[in-house]
Amino acid sequence: MATADDRRLDPRTLRRHIVRMASAGNSVHLGCAFSVVEIMAVLYSRFLAAGPDVAGSPDRDYMILSKGHGVMAMYACFREIGRLPQEALDRYFSDGSLLHGLCEWTVPGCEVTTGSMGHGLPIAAGVALGLKRRGRTDRKVYCLVGDGEMNEGPMWEALLFAAHHQLDNLIVILDANGFQAMGPTSAVLNLEPLAAKFRGFGFETRECGGHDAAALEENIRALTENKSGTAPKALIARTVKGKGVSFMEGNNDWHYLRLDAETKARALSELGGADA
Amino acid sequence: MRSLLADLIARAAERDPDFLALSGDHGYALFDPIRKDRPGQFLNVGVMEQAMVGIAAGLCKQGFRPMLYGLSAFVPIRVLEQIKLDVCFPGLPVIFVGDGAGLVYSTLGASHQCGEDVAALRPLPNIRIYSPCDAEELRACWREILGRRGPCYLRVGKSDRPAVHQSPLQGTEPHFTHQVESSKTCLVAHGSMAVAATERGRAMRLPVLSVPRVKPLGDAPAALLRPFSNIIVLEEHSRHGGLASALAELFCGMPPPAPRIRAVALEDKFAARCGSYQYALSEHRMADHQLEARIGELLD
Repeated sequence: MATADDRRLDPRTLRRHIVRMASAGNSVHLGCAFSVVEIMAVLYSRFLAAGPDVAGSPDRDYMILSKGHGVMAMYACFREIGRLPQEALDRYFSDGSLLHGLCEWTVPGCEVTTGSMGHGLPIAAGVALGLKRRGRTDRKVYCLVGDGEMNEGPMWEALLFAAHHQLDNLIVILDANGFQAMGPTSAVLNLEPLAAKFRGFGFETRECGGHDAAALEENIRALTENKSGTAPKALIARTVKGKGVSFMEGNNDWHYLRLDAETKARALSELGGADA
Repeated sequence: MRSLLADLIARAAERDPDFLALSGDHGYALFDPIRKDRPGQFLNVGVMEQAMVGIAAGLCKQGFRPMLYGLSAFVPIRVLEQIKLDVCFPGLPVIFVGDGAGLVYSTLGASHQCGEDVAALRPLPNIRIYSPCDAEELRACWREILGRRGPCYLRVGKSDRPAVHQSPLQGTEPHFTHQVESSKTCLVAHGSMAVAATERGRAMRLPVLSVPRVKPLGDAPAALLRPFSNIIVLEEHSRHGGLASALAELFCGMPPPAPRIRAVALEDKFAARCGSYQYALSEHRMADHQLEARIGELLD
């Protein structure tokens, strides 16, 4: 399996794509995309086969973005692994363009339609069950979920189902950035202790910093390579909403705020990319 | 009709190893044949209708053909958004079976009654809606559903009424179950009410058109109904958004003159009191003993 050249999936490059897309489309959800950049980069550079021919192949590993609000990070990765042309990013939100502001199955590689929360994980569980029934035991389903999304009932339904059916080919990665749309998860609807909850549901569960590429790779590998049990896997990735740009980090306003010329220039400057 | 459906499910599983029947912990005897003959192709996912739709969508990605069963109050009503986004948008070949539609569960109350499923599903792109009235219509609908590679909803209502058809049907097109010459009025119905309408039509010398496929309707009903000036639609469904609405929309787009279209259907209210199936229908003035007078009021 050929994964992408990880120099292409440099987090600063990906974040610059996100800033330019968000600016071109006058889009919100920058903070949501920034918190998953390293997770996506590690998945596409180390675990998922790259290349335009992989999307849609019946023999692929699956990457399901349940947290549709992070989709700009996925588009940025697709740009770097050759699945999307630069023009698709430049034309973000322009009339007749391909890419929506939330994940839609019509984009090759996006697999599912999410953005309404609580849809991706049940679908991922269905894919994992289907792979096992087909005997494709070497194929994996990675499902990236948000912590705010864990408010949704179908997420917990899917966890019960995955554990009961021993879907050890399912790897749930939880982007625990501590925020949801209108405030800290701890204030809106407390989810902690997250790892204990996943363990209680029967998941083999690990926890690590979600912006530490080496730690992410090591933990995902430990989960996927453990053949000893039948438990589905979970990685609680502790992240920072808005990570990578100082004035966005931990500032939940960047769930909704849009860039202007000044904030765009400051963001790009911090990310090492001068822009005209 | 239910034992036939149980048999059709088991035979679909026999013919297609990718056919998978999923249930949200409902169905009981309906799944006895498949559980006996093809136990590996039946899965009780538990009481989780929402996740069940997503799981079915995921199974489609590996080429499986899921049939998803629930009471119509839950499938499609509880899971409407999952049907819209997970299945209808990508046009996946999931078969939804909504059982007990209408007022079948008269004694259990509003939680298990469903007069809004057709109205809820009709605006969703890609889905087909079937509402058979007896065994022959069920066979025709099921045959068409299995042959189709897109989402389908099979509405199963009161299923122990007498059969209307005595011989197999070619397909699911609208058709007259009772013909009368030179009548200005035609009764039109689907599901359980096609049985009641046919009984009343015979007694009152009125023609009856049965419409087992409610979506897409196509233009056939317009052509068949063109000779009539007065259409009375009978349906065990809300008067809002069901077959009566669909026919009105159809004729709105046709050159005049359009027939007058009125509905004998569920009124805009929940069940007030508990009672038998016929009692529940009587709260909407559509019990068997009320239909003749009700139709009589609507004759020109």
